[in-house]
Amino acid sequence: MPRVLSKRDRNGNQYTRLRNIEIAVAAALAQDIPTLCRRAAIQDRRSPEYLPSECLVHLIREAHRRDDKTTMTDLLPPLLERCRRTLDRKVSDRIPNASVLRDEILGQFSELFADDGTGDSPDELDFYEVRFNSAFRALRINLLRREKIARKGHAKRYAPLPDVHEVEPTSDDDVFARMSEHLRTPANQENTLALKNLIEAIKSLPADERDAVVLCHMMGYEVESEDPNKATAATHCGVTGRTIRNRLRRAAAKLSRFKENG
Amino acid sequence: MAPVTRDQPSLRDAFYQLSLCEPVPDAEILEEFVDRYPEHAAALTEFAIALVLDAAEDANDQPVDPPSTTTSPAVSRAMSRFHNRLYAVKKAAAVQAIESERTTKNPFASLSRTELRAIAQRLNVTTVFVMKLRDRQILSDTMPQDFQRQIAEELRAPIEVVIAHFAAPPEMQPRAHFKADQKPKISTKQTFEEAVRSSGLTPAQEKHLLSL
Repeated sequence: MPRVLSKRDRNGNQYTRLRNIEIAVAAALAQDIPTLCRRAAIQDRRSPEYLPSECLVHLIREAHRRDDKTTMTDLLPPLLERCRRTLDRKVSDRIPNASVLRDEILGQFSELFADDGTGDSPDELDFYEVRFNSAFRALRINLLRREKIARKGHAKRYAPLPDVHEVEPTSDDDVFARMSEHLRTPANQENTLALKNLIEAIKSLPADERDAVVLCHMMGYEVESEDPNKATAATHCGVTGRTIRNRLRRAAAKLSRFKENG
Repeated sequence: MAPVTRDQPSLRDAFYQLSLCEPVPDAEILEEFVDRYPEHAAALTEFAIALVLDAAEDANDQPVDPPSTTTSPAVSRAMSRFHNRLYAVKKAAAVQAIESERTTKNPFASLSRTELRAIAQRLNVTTVFVMKLRDRQILSDTMPQDFQRQIAEELRAPIEVVIAHFAAPPEMQPRAHFKADQKPKISTKQTFEEAVRSSGLTPAQEKHLLSL
């Protein structure tokens, strides 16, 4: 029976592993190291021999608890190799210091195993036994965020800019309606490329415009509200509703051009 | 590039919780977190925006890679960091263990000879036996719990402190006098019965202690 996790979700409930992970862990605990190493090297999730990353995390943590350095040293590299491949895909070379950042993320992730059971967050790896990719995404996004802050020297991110001129009203509703439809459509070969291009286009918008688009059209925030206690895109960005609308119009114009060019 | 510093554990947990939400966080979920950590509202919003974009991109991005049998240089560097950190963590734990052993409070430490004799009288034992208690020369798990409780009451010390004292390794009193040229080594601990039998107690005292 795999060890119970102690981290809790946002509602205060203890996290549990998915059923298939529990089964995979139970089976893996009965296997020898050469078998586990062979399975850990398999990257194809459809393979019946594929060892889920959540399961690998569990095995490495158990080895750490037993002070079994050999198992840790055998099973951690294939897990790190999976992470490296993710980082190669997800940390774009367009980011300054991309390769150094990939190393830093991978290094900090490897150190979580050494720190497991100690320090200020002894059970941080619990998250990785629940949904590995989501947990690793949190680590990656957070490190990239912090590095960006360090690079910019803690500059205020949402410095409100004066609305020097009002952007001409354009039919941005159409652009965002098409965007929402793309995001809602289930993945298939046809829309995969379009969606990828759309996300790339949103990511390449200036930060203030990108944030307005995501907050209003991907997360469901209102632009502004008469209720001063209500959180809106404007309150989150520390600007007026008019500024948000201007940012959305500018973004729509760019996304519309992108669509035409795309 | 200097290593990127880490956030407070509570904020890190919030990031993980947000990331583990299914589907990706919307306004309602983000507001829950912002209400809980208002001081981190900007960081949480920034994180959530990046998360939403990343998750949308991932929906169609699940490549199948071939099996990997070689270790890339990046993984080797990460393994090196893992080993260095593991060494540092173990070393810190060892230092802490030594430190905690050294500083385990001896509830007898502040007692004068007269006080030690008085306690011996009240416990109905000899001073030699009390010194064995003081110097942790008796195996704690062979010592009756009622006796340990009685000692705690006599010393007016919390029972946890007395239990921790007896569980710690034996110690030589810094003020102890010895006739040999070299400082005597600390002997191994005695069982409670051995200590009772070798402390100059009367048969009645021995009988009483062994009946506890």
